[in-house]
Amino acid sequence: MIRPGLSVLLAVWLSAPPLLAADKDDDALLTHHSRRDALSQPMSGLSASEREQFFHGRSLFNQSWVVAPAADSQVDGLGPLYNRLACMSCHAHNGRGLPLERMGERLQSMLVRLSLPGAGPHGGPRPHPVYGDQFNEEGIPGVPGEGRIQLRWHTVQHQALDGRRYTLRRPKLSFTELAYGPLGTVLTSPRVGQPMIGMGLLDAVPASALQAMAAEAKPDGIRGQVNPVWNPQTGQSEAGRFGHKANMPSLRSQIAGAFLGDLGITSSLHPNENCSARQTACQRAPHGGSPELSDAQLDAITFYLAHLAIPARRERDQPEVQRGEALFAQLGCTHCHRPQLHTGPSAFPRLGGRTLAAYTDLLLHDMGPGLADGRPDFAASGQHWRTAPLWGIGLTATVSDASRYLHDGRARNLTEAILWHDGEARRARQRFERLHPGDRAAVLRFIQSL
Amino acid sequence: MHPISFSRRAFVQGAAALALGALSGPLWAAPRRDVVVLTAYPETVVARFETAFERAYPHYRLRVVWRMPHDALPYLRQPGQNGVDVYWSASPNTYAQLKREGGWQKLGIALDGLPAQIGQSVIQDPDGYYVAAETAAYGFAVNPARLQQLGLAAPADWTELAAPAYAGQLLLPNPAEVGFAPVLVDIPLQAYGWDTGWALWSALAANGEFIGRGGTFVSDEVASGRKAIGLSIDFFVAAAIANGAPLRWIYPRQGGVNPAHIAITASSPNPAGARAFARFVLSDAGQTLLTHPDIRKLPVRPSVYARLPAGSHHPFAVAEQGGYRYNNGIGQLRAAVVAAAFVQACVRPHARLVALWQALRQGDPARWSAVWPLLTAPPLSEADASTSALQQVFANRRQDPAAEAAAQVHEQRWASQVDARLNQAASLLGVRA
Repeated sequence: MIRPGLSVLLAVWLSAPPLLAADKDDDALLTHHSRRDALSQPMSGLSASEREQFFHGRSLFNQSWVVAPAADSQVDGLGPLYNRLACMSCHAHNGRGLPLERMGERLQSMLVRLSLPGAGPHGGPRPHPVYGDQFNEEGIPGVPGEGRIQLRWHTVQHQALDGRRYTLRRPKLSFTELAYGPLGTVLTSPRVGQPMIGMGLLDAVPASALQAMAAEAKPDGIRGQVNPVWNPQTGQSEAGRFGHKANMPSLRSQIAGAFLGDLGITSSLHPNENCSARQTACQRAPHGGSPELSDAQLDAITFYLAHLAIPARRERDQPEVQRGEALFAQLGCTHCHRPQLHTGPSAFPRLGGRTLAAYTDLLLHDMGPGLADGRPDFAASGQHWRTAPLWGIGLTATVSDASRYLHDGRARNLTEAILWHDGEARRARQRFERLHPGDRAAVLRFIQSL
Repeated sequence: MHPISFSRRAFVQGAAALALGALSGPLWAAPRRDVVVLTAYPETVVARFETAFERAYPHYRLRVVWRMPHDALPYLRQPGQNGVDVYWSASPNTYAQLKREGGWQKLGIALDGLPAQIGQSVIQDPDGYYVAAETAAYGFAVNPARLQQLGLAAPADWTELAAPAYAGQLLLPNPAEVGFAPVLVDIPLQAYGWDTGWALWSALAANGEFIGRGGTFVSDEVASGRKAIGLSIDFFVAAAIANGAPLRWIYPRQGGVNPAHIAITASSPNPAGARAFARFVLSDAGQTLLTHPDIRKLPVRPSVYARLPAGSHHPFAVAEQGGYRYNNGIGQLRAAVVAAAFVQACVRPHARLVALWQALRQGDPARWSAVWPLLTAPPLSEADASTSALQQVFANRRQDPAAEAAAQVHEQRWASQVDARLNQAASLLGVRA
C-alpha cells in the first residue's frame, strides 16, 4: 500500500503527472468509454438539472437547422449562406473532421477561411468584400451558394534524418462555380473540425498562465506567444485560446462564431447575417428571429461542450507506453505539448482548480513554411499555429471514420503529423527522426494512449 | 381538397420551362444538376447518402432542405412545392395526405426485389406514388448489468414488463411529445386486443416513468442505469450500442414496424434527378448504407441482410415466421386519437396509477376483481377510435383551430371518465391517490 503523499511524489518522480488535482474527485471529469462514443460522454456527477442542460445542449449541437420561417421556430434561421446543417456535421462524435479526399466532393467536415492581406476590424483578418471571411458552399432555396471548392492533394517528398523517405501530401485549393464574381487575390486557409472535448477546462486556464508560459525561456528556439484577439462578448482584446490559430478567446465566442460562420445562425454576439453588399438575395432572405440562436440556447451548448468528459488514458501501465512518455519529454515535445495546465476560477465550478493533461500550451508557434497557410489572424502570422491539444488523440481512428491530423487533415497518421513539424518544432522533429524504430514506436504508442 | 392543384401547376411550370428553352437552347440542353431533397433525417444519414449518391451520380448534386415531419406538409403545399424534387422521411401521414391532394407523381422506377409488405404492414403505396426506403421496429433497450443487479430477467415480450418486479424500472416515451411513440402505443393494442392492450398499458405505466424526449435520450437513461429498461424504436438504441453503449436491444415477439418512405413531387423541377436519387436510396448500395453503425436502420431490400453479421435482425424473415402482425394501415389512421387518449389515461394520471397499482398489488386479493377493471378500462372503445370523424379531428388539430377545440372536448371527457374510475378504485382500496 502506497501512502497518498508518497503516490504524489512518485507521480512527480516518474514524470507522470496526475491528470487532475488530488483535492477533487479526479474521475468526475473522466470517462472510461473507449469506443465510438468516447468523446460524447457527460462528466459524472451532474445533477438532474445539469443533465437536462447537457442533453438540451447536445440536442442543439446535433440539430439540423431549418430554413425560416418554420413551425419549429426554435431551430429555424439556417443561412442564408452556410456550410452544413448542423454542428455535428464538422464534429461527428465530437471528434476531428475529415478533409476532402476526391476531386468533386463537397466540403463536409471542413471549411475554408478567406481574407485579404492586411488587418480588418479589431486587428483580425480583413474579410473579402464579397465572400466574407469564410467560403459558404451552400445557400438556402433562392440564395445561391457561393460556389464550390476543389481540393487537390500534391505529394511532398520528405527524407528523414535516418534516411527513410516519406511521401507526404499538402492540399491545393481552387474555386469553381463562383456565384458572386471572381475572388481575385485572396488568402485562404482550409481547416477541418477539431475535437470538442475539454473546451470548458481550457477556457478556465487563466490568461495570466498563458502569458507566463509565453514568457518562459525555452530551449530549441521555441518561443510561443499569446494571440490577443477581439472578444465580441466583452468588447475588448483578450488572450485567444480556441481555433487552429487561437483566434477565439472563449468557448462561448467560439460557439457563436461557428454558428454564424458555418450555419449562418445569428446570436447576441453576432447579430447580423453573413451577407455582403453584393449578396442581395442573401440580404432579402427571411431570418429566424433576432437573434436566431437565443442566449438560453447558447448557454445550453456551452454547458454541453464544457461538460464533455475527457477520455481516461489507456495502457498507462504498459512499459512501452511509459517509455514513449519519457521519450516524448526527452525529444522536447512537452515544451509545447505541455502535460500540465492548471485551471483558475470557472463559470462552471467543477471545472475550476483542476490540473489538466491536455498536452497543449494554447500558444502560437511558428511551425515553418511547410504548414503555413499564409493567412494572418490577429497576431498569428501565416506560419503560426496553436499547439493542438493531444488529449483524446489516440481515439481518433475509433471515433471517426478515418484518421486525419493537423489543421487541414493532410496527415494520414501520427508519423506524418510529426514529420510536418518545423520552425520552432524542428529540433524536436529531428530528434524523432533519429530515433531507433523501436523508440519511435514507443513514442507513437504513448500518443495513442492519450 | 387543397386549393393548389399540383397537376395544373406542373403544367404551367412545364410550359414556362419550354418557353425558356426556346429562348435559351444551351440552358435547355444542359441537364439540371440540383436534386432538392426535403428530409428530416439527421446529418449522420444525410451526409453519407449525399457523398455516396454524388459519387454514384456525379452529374447530380444533392441539395438538402431539412424539415421536421410535422412541418413538411405545409412546406410541400407551397407554390411549386418550394422547388422540392424528393420527399424522403418517416412521415406516413404526409405521404398519404399529399397523395390525396395530387402532390406526388408516380415513382416510375423498378421496384424489383423490394417487398410490398413486412408482415401485416404495407410499406409500398399500391398505386406507385411512394415506397418505403427503410424501416424501423420497436422493442426494449435493456441494461444487462442493471438487470443483473436487480435480479431481473431480460423481458422477451410486452406482458412480462407488467410484472411487479419491474416496478420503477421502465422508461416510457410520452406519445404526445415523442414522434415515434404513437405507433409504439398501438402495437400492444393490436397484438393483445383493444381491452387487454389498454390494461397492459395501465400496468406498464404504473411500472414506469414517462419521458418527453425521444432520440438517444432513452438509451442515455438506460445506459446510465437510472432505469433498467426503456421502450423505444430500434435505431437510436442500436446505433448507441454500435457506438459503445453498454446496452442490449430486444425485439419483442409482438413487434411492429414504422417505415419511412420516398416520393417524387408532382412539381419536381428535376424528375430525372429525383428518380436517380430514389433509385440510389433503394439500391443495394443505398440500402447497405443504412446498416452503418451511426444509422442502423432496417433495409427494405431483403438481399442486403444476407451480408449482415449473423444474428442481425431480419424483419422479413421474422414476418415469414408469423411475426410483425402489426397493421400499420389501421395504426396510421388512429395514431393521433390513440396517442391523445393514452395521454389522458396513462400519462396525465401517472402518479395516481403508480400509487393505485401499488396498493392493489399489496392489498387484499379479494378486491382485485372489483378494482382491476377500474384501473385498466380503455378510455374509449375501439369502434370509436376507428371512426373517420374522430380520426380527422385529432389528425388535423395542429392546423385547424376548430379541430383543436373539438379534440380538447374529447380529451376532457376521457379525462373525467378516467378520473371517476380512479377515484372509485382509490375508494375501494382505501387509499388517497
